[in-house]
Amino acid sequence: MTARSGLIRGPWAIAVYTWREGMRKRILIGFLILSLLFIFGANLMAAFMSQSTVGEVEADVDVKLIKDICVTVISIFGVLITIFISASAVPTEVENKVIYTVLSKPVRRLQYLFGKFLGIQLIVIINLVLMGALFFIALYVKTRILPTLLLWSILLTYFEFLIVSAFTFAVSCASTSAVLPTIAGLFIYLVGNLTEYLKDVVRRSGQTGMWLDEAIGKTARFLYQVLPNLQNFSLKSQILYQAPNDPPQDVQVPNLILYGLLYAVCGFLMAYWVFRRKEL
Amino acid sequence: MAAVIETHDLTKVYEGAWKGQDVLALNKLNISIEEGEIFGFLGPNGSGKTTTIKMLLGLIFPTSGHLEILGRKDIGKPAVREKIGYLPEGAYYPDFLKGEEVLRFYGQLYGLTGSELKRRIAQVLETVGMTRARKRLIRGYSKGMRQRIGLAQALINDPQILILDEPTTGLDPIARKEIRDILAELRSRGKSLFISSHELLEVELISDRVGILFEGNLQTLGTIDELLTERDLSIRVADATPEKLKEVTAAGVAAEDSVRGTVVLRVPSALDLFDALERCKAAQLKVVSVAPRRETLEELFVRVVGDAAKQQEGPK
Repeated sequence: MTARSGLIRGPWAIAVYTWREGMRKRILIGFLILSLLFIFGANLMAAFMSQSTVGEVEADVDVKLIKDICVTVISIFGVLITIFISASAVPTEVENKVIYTVLSKPVRRLQYLFGKFLGIQLIVIINLVLMGALFFIALYVKTRILPTLLLWSILLTYFEFLIVSAFTFAVSCASTSAVLPTIAGLFIYLVGNLTEYLKDVVRRSGQTGMWLDEAIGKTARFLYQVLPNLQNFSLKSQILYQAPNDPPQDVQVPNLILYGLLYAVCGFLMAYWVFRRKEL
Repeated sequence: MAAVIETHDLTKVYEGAWKGQDVLALNKLNISIEEGEIFGFLGPNGSGKTTTIKMLLGLIFPTSGHLEILGRKDIGKPAVREKIGYLPEGAYYPDFLKGEEVLRFYGQLYGLTGSELKRRIAQVLETVGMTRARKRLIRGYSKGMRQRIGLAQALINDPQILILDEPTTGLDPIARKEIRDILAELRSRGKSLFISSHELLEVELISDRVGILFEGNLQTLGTIDELLTERDLSIRVADATPEKLKEVTAAGVAAEDSVRGTVVLRVPSALDLFDALERCKAAQLKVVSVAPRRETLEELFVRVVGDAAKQQEGPK
């Protein structure tokens, strides 16, 4: 075995273990089943409505209903799954002492964290793919058009979740239980979605000339520049109002992927910084 | 023999949230574990045993002092960890995995793959007597079987040093004996074992040397033969009644045990044997046997910890 292959195999073994264990968590399975039920239910509802209505306008309403429910469900349950699994992966291992048996082996803390984070991403991706696939099929059956826009949306949603996951994971590395990181994860998601409003604050500040007004403006500008803007990843309105096979508009997908990766690396480095000398 | 583990003034202070809340968990521990020996690390709860083990594994870091494993101070390095096997107390192994899958996971962490990994898994399963149960899910394992799988994961890399935290706690007598036999066999293969346990009889039966900790301070350290000396004598007497025993025990002789109509009297080393025998004769007790009596590890433990506690309380 070469040193390089050892560096990769350790984290990969941890990632697979994390994925296998995570996919068996009841709460996670519950979220997934609920989300799939909602997506399935939206289709049933639309099918029922289409039997009682006629005409092109009503058919559009049915499709919009499916889109609306499915996008919301993927967003809500997807982020809940992401937060829950990112918040609990490390504290659970400290609680059941698995971490002691792993870190007493020739595994560096960075490798351990990388393996856990990789395992979390496998879980998030698989859940997103499952939910997205059902939505994709439903939309295709309804419109007979390949909903390629949905694929772009799911790709960007993943990078949105990646940011939330990385920072939740960082908090979980400093915590002894999953409760605080779960709350922190929800907070990160909310703040990330409200960052857009900071732009308004910046625009309106400085009009009175008062120091407080100036200070608020500067703080808002700083926060806007530092905090991730999760709204950037949302294609919801385009999915709702455009044709399913339209290309994404007003977004630079490669830039957004880079943006997501950059924040995820920052979150992961924070996790390592907290964890590298943590007393277990 | 070369030392495989050495601690030099190893000290650990857990910092409290507020000033004055710091806890001294380990105070200048100096021990040395030799190659091929079993070292019993004893102490009541909260005495610093787990803190020491965690420092040996690099899970927590010393406040002062240092430790060496196989002559190296950089104990966190993979090159050092490769030589260590660790069994934590009450560790969890995922229910959804089979015994051999658990071992595959831990083997992969050592970089073992392919036929080498398979060979090591088969070898350790054989060592811990779990070959037949290797395909069963962990959820169907008894406590003893889980402990054996735990031991197997600690052995997967064929380590030079084994650190075991409560290896026999909660096991039935047969499982204990089996684990004890495995540990003895490992010693015969030249492995060094560092065992932390509350099961004093087990430790006494298997250890070469023991150290007793109390409130972070090492109270005593030595070989079993050095520490458990034949301090007292025992006299087995027949025809004992409470009245007769009262006459003898008044002189400092203690009635210890009652076996099939006979009573074992313990004569402390400070008392004269002939004086004790005279008293038995006077009390019309029939002396069946007289034998030297070796202190048990449990008695030593209680005495050492009791003395340390008294010393700490100070004269009142």
